[in-house]
Amino acid sequence: MSGRKARRARGTLRARHGYAFVAAYLLLLLAFGVLPAGYAIYLALTNSAGQLVGLGNFTAVAGDFRFGPAFAHIGVYLAIWLVVLVAGVVGLALALHGRMRRTTAVMRFLYYLPGALAGVASVLVWLFMLDPTVSPVGWLLNWLGYTSFAQVIVPGHLPVVLAVIAFWTGAGGWIVIMYGALNNIPDDLLEAARIDGAGPLAIARRIQIPMLRKWIAYMVILAFATGSQLFVEPQLVGEASLGAVSNSWSPNQLAYLYAFQANDFHSAAALSVDLLVLGLVCAAVIVTRSGLFNLE
Amino acid sequence: MRAASVRARTAAVVGERPSGRRRPRGGHGMRLRRGTTARFVLLAVLIAFAAFFLIPVVWLLLAPTKTDSGLVHSNPFAFGSLRNLGTTWHYLVTFEDGALLTWLRNSAVYAFGALAITLVTAVPAGYGLALTEFRGRKLLLAVTLVVMIMPASALVLPLFLEINAAHLVGSVWSVILPMSFFPFGVYLAYIYFSSHIPRDLLAAARLDGCSEWGVFWHVAVPLARPVVALVAFFSFVANWNNFFLPFVMLPSSGQYPVQVGLENLLSSTPSFNPAAGAGLDITRPELALAMLIAIAPVLIVFLFSQRALVSGMLAGATKE
Amino acid sequence: MIHIRTTLVPHAARRRRLAAAAALAAAALVLAACGKAGTPATGGTSSSAPSFKPATQNSSAPLTVWVDSTRLPGVQAYQKAHPGVKLNIVTYNGDANGSNYLQTKVELYDRAGSGWPDVVFTENVNDITWATEPGIDFAAPLNGYVPAATLAGFATNALSPCTFGGKVYCLRNDLAQDVLWYNKKLMNSFGYQVPATWQQYQALGEKVAAQHPGYIIGTVGDAWAPEVYFWASQCPANQVTAPSTLTVNTASPDCTRMASLLDTLIKDKAVSTDTVFSAGFAKNTASKVLMLVGPSWYGQTLFNAVFKTPAGQIAAAPPLAWAGDSATYTGDVGGGAWIVSAHSANLKAATALATWMTTSNAYQATAGTYPAYKAAAAAWLANQARTGYFADNVAPAFTEAAGMVWPGWSATKFSQEAIWAATVVPALTQGKTITSMLGAWQTAIRDQAQALGYTVK
Repeated sequence: MSGRKARRARGTLRARHGYAFVAAYLLLLLAFGVLPAGYAIYLALTNSAGQLVGLGNFTAVAGDFRFGPAFAHIGVYLAIWLVVLVAGVVGLALALHGRMRRTTAVMRFLYYLPGALAGVASVLVWLFMLDPTVSPVGWLLNWLGYTSFAQVIVPGHLPVVLAVIAFWTGAGGWIVIMYGALNNIPDDLLEAARIDGAGPLAIARRIQIPMLRKWIAYMVILAFATGSQLFVEPQLVGEASLGAVSNSWSPNQLAYLYAFQANDFHSAAALSVDLLVLGLVCAAVIVTRSGLFNLE
Repeated sequence: MRAASVRARTAAVVGERPSGRRRPRGGHGMRLRRGTTARFVLLAVLIAFAAFFLIPVVWLLLAPTKTDSGLVHSNPFAFGSLRNLGTTWHYLVTFEDGALLTWLRNSAVYAFGALAITLVTAVPAGYGLALTEFRGRKLLLAVTLVVMIMPASALVLPLFLEINAAHLVGSVWSVILPMSFFPFGVYLAYIYFSSHIPRDLLAAARLDGCSEWGVFWHVAVPLARPVVALVAFFSFVANWNNFFLPFVMLPSSGQYPVQVGLENLLSSTPSFNPAAGAGLDITRPELALAMLIAIAPVLIVFLFSQRALVSGMLAGATKE
Repeated sequence: MIHIRTTLVPHAARRRRLAAAAALAAAALVLAACGKAGTPATGGTSSSAPSFKPATQNSSAPLTVWVDSTRLPGVQAYQKAHPGVKLNIVTYNGDANGSNYLQTKVELYDRAGSGWPDVVFTENVNDITWATEPGIDFAAPLNGYVPAATLAGFATNALSPCTFGGKVYCLRNDLAQDVLWYNKKLMNSFGYQVPATWQQYQALGEKVAAQHPGYIIGTVGDAWAPEVYFWASQCPANQVTAPSTLTVNTASPDCTRMASLLDTLIKDKAVSTDTVFSAGFAKNTASKVLMLVGPSWYGQTLFNAVFKTPAGQIAAAPPLAWAGDSATYTGDVGGGAWIVSAHSANLKAATALATWMTTSNAYQATAGTYPAYKAAAAAWLANQARTGYFADNVAPAFTEAAGMVWPGWSATKFSQEAIWAATVVPALTQGKTITSMLGAWQTAIRDQAQALGYTVK
């Protein structure tokens, strides 16, 4: 049994070193992740006098007149956003992967460019892009039947408009990642398939996409989380239109209002926990389905 | 440490030439068999999307060359004049006595400061999570994921109270330290190390007598250049674009990073904020120029790290 | 090499135990309600006057001043003129566009117990409603520090949004009183008379629609449209009648008369449902503006800077009256205010700064907007005449309007502009009438007010 004991001793040694590698990160995680999140959950369960209120904050928030519409908006948005993002990113990454190297590099840079334009000032860009009278794509908007900015952003159009904006800023970074992940697939596999007579579509379907499963799973988890926590895009369009989009269009905006307009950090925390649970349920489903946490 | 032999063994296992460069990918074996029509369709799709991504950027590039009413009345793709560009530049840099430069400098300090700490913490953490086994490994991964998904508005108050308790409010650390917590970088490194560093390699190094630290430093890190570049890049971009944290933490306008400064600039533009009133020289072309200047560093970093980002093996995830 | 494959799915027994623990925890949560949820918000004015306990005063303590970029030169000029006071100037976004920045920071400082600025400028006079809320008590009452004569020197009702329980808690920086703007050149060439009553305004609009289609005499797509039209009509849509109590009744005749007037004109396309700041308006309609009912800052900020209407064309007339009403009122679209922090260690210097910024001719004469202080306003008007932009002297119209702002439209914790822009304007864009939206408008106001703690009658 000396072999097993030796192995176990080595294993324990390795485990101790494992702790050493994650120690510094663990400090940061505790200080800036666990502690604030824990405090937020504590806020969600108490009131301003410090008393425990059970699920009282949650029921109060669910009864708010803005709660239902906000989640309805985000539901429609998510349906559009997830489909567009996954199809768009995977499709474009695959398409890029079949091209000549230099064109690909240029294209990747161009696709990524809008992602750098994240931020509060991009309201300027969308103010002009969405206004048929001054937009470079005004001909397209006019063809769709819209003659004014106000017409483009009527409530019925917002999920699509916001999904377009989110795709514009977000797709480039994901394409870079997916493209790199595609590069990990060994050439011999692709060569072998090609020799067997598989066309590019078959290769994509049978080899590349299955090997991208972990990355796609990851992208869906985060896209769902960021989509359900949408904040910047509706805030932007709201600013650009001087208020035509309600400042509680999305649940995350409503949480922000609770915190900073109503001075009610407890309701904000409760709503945030709602969003967190939503994201986690999706993550749990995808993690268990795709074996994301497994070691190879 | 017999680094040379370790490296050679690495190369043999991974299939790279000792110099570390991969075989260049060409268009040879990849030419479509189904005819040139499919190829053109694909090209058309790629170009259509390029147009989709590019048109607003081109508009933004041309905007500072026009006057505010020029933006409204002239063709969106028309070039204004260099004189307008000069005027726009002048108004922008004289805003609040050269605040723009201060903002850029602050952004650089915060972004690089947090980036340094992130690299030192996230890469080893990813390695530890991927290639060592210890109790609580899965728990750590799960907790990291949970914390990533928590909405920021709930974290503002606790973070502020924490920073205040440490008497750091108003110092650069109130921004750098929270920003250096970059769980996505940890996941990036985790996925990379778990997918692309074969355990046999590490086992071999251990057999050769390497200590755990030696295995990490002499085997894993040299192979981890792509993911280090990736973590660095995304961390830098996230830090550079972070608006909310500095917005809440920094009391003095001399400390604003460029994103908060842009928000100030936006509020000084009468078209967005009529209460700002006439008299200020900030209009939409100045705002456009400010945006372009604000994103320039990100694009430069992207250009430099493009090759590292996608060369060879790559893994990662980010939350935009 | 034996790899131990670990999976996320624990043993069945462990799973059962986890589930049981989770169920217990959930039950505990539901049962463990010792208190009532949420933060009790009082909304609007407090039931008792906000409490004020000044901190230890130190007359040489430096002042932290928060100001927006537009008024920054004024504060810098004050520093130059008063080198004895040390000013630590911080520029911020002026709390504009509903950013809630000031409220956010004050609330955070409240929880941390320190860090408040000494004196702040806010572009949003509604801020005073939360700043005087008991529990926050951010604004200091100024009656002890500003002479009564100075307070009396502000325009009629200018300080009423700042006044609670008889004490004044902020100083108004400027007024945005609504006047009737018109293009004198176009009016003369079309042969129209400037209307004096709303009824004449409507008749003129119908004439314009028939004789010169395409020309407009007003806009309702702006977020501040209710502050222009409904405030002037004394519509009780925003009236704080008692502490934390709001009266909203958009079915009142004072509201419906304005709604039907506007609907008639909208149908005739004499009034646009667009907003004056949209790019489309600037491009296509700016040259066809015959008249606009709007705030005093329209003159320079809108006509001059945005529309680029040539000099010598634009003039202002006094606010329209409702024929048959005993008194004429007008509305007010905002205006900024200075608030002195109740936590300041140097209240005297802080108040002196706020007073100087709002009342001195040195700053206000060349400010961008009409000063709320009467003497400064006179100097400002003289300066405006010197710029030679307007066709006629705007002083009579501005001064008259400044004294006629209806006090029945109150400062509130929620934003009427946000409600109008998000609720009514999209409906107007899709072709609905204002009259049909009056009910929805009332519901939206009521919901927003209740969410912030008001009792709505």
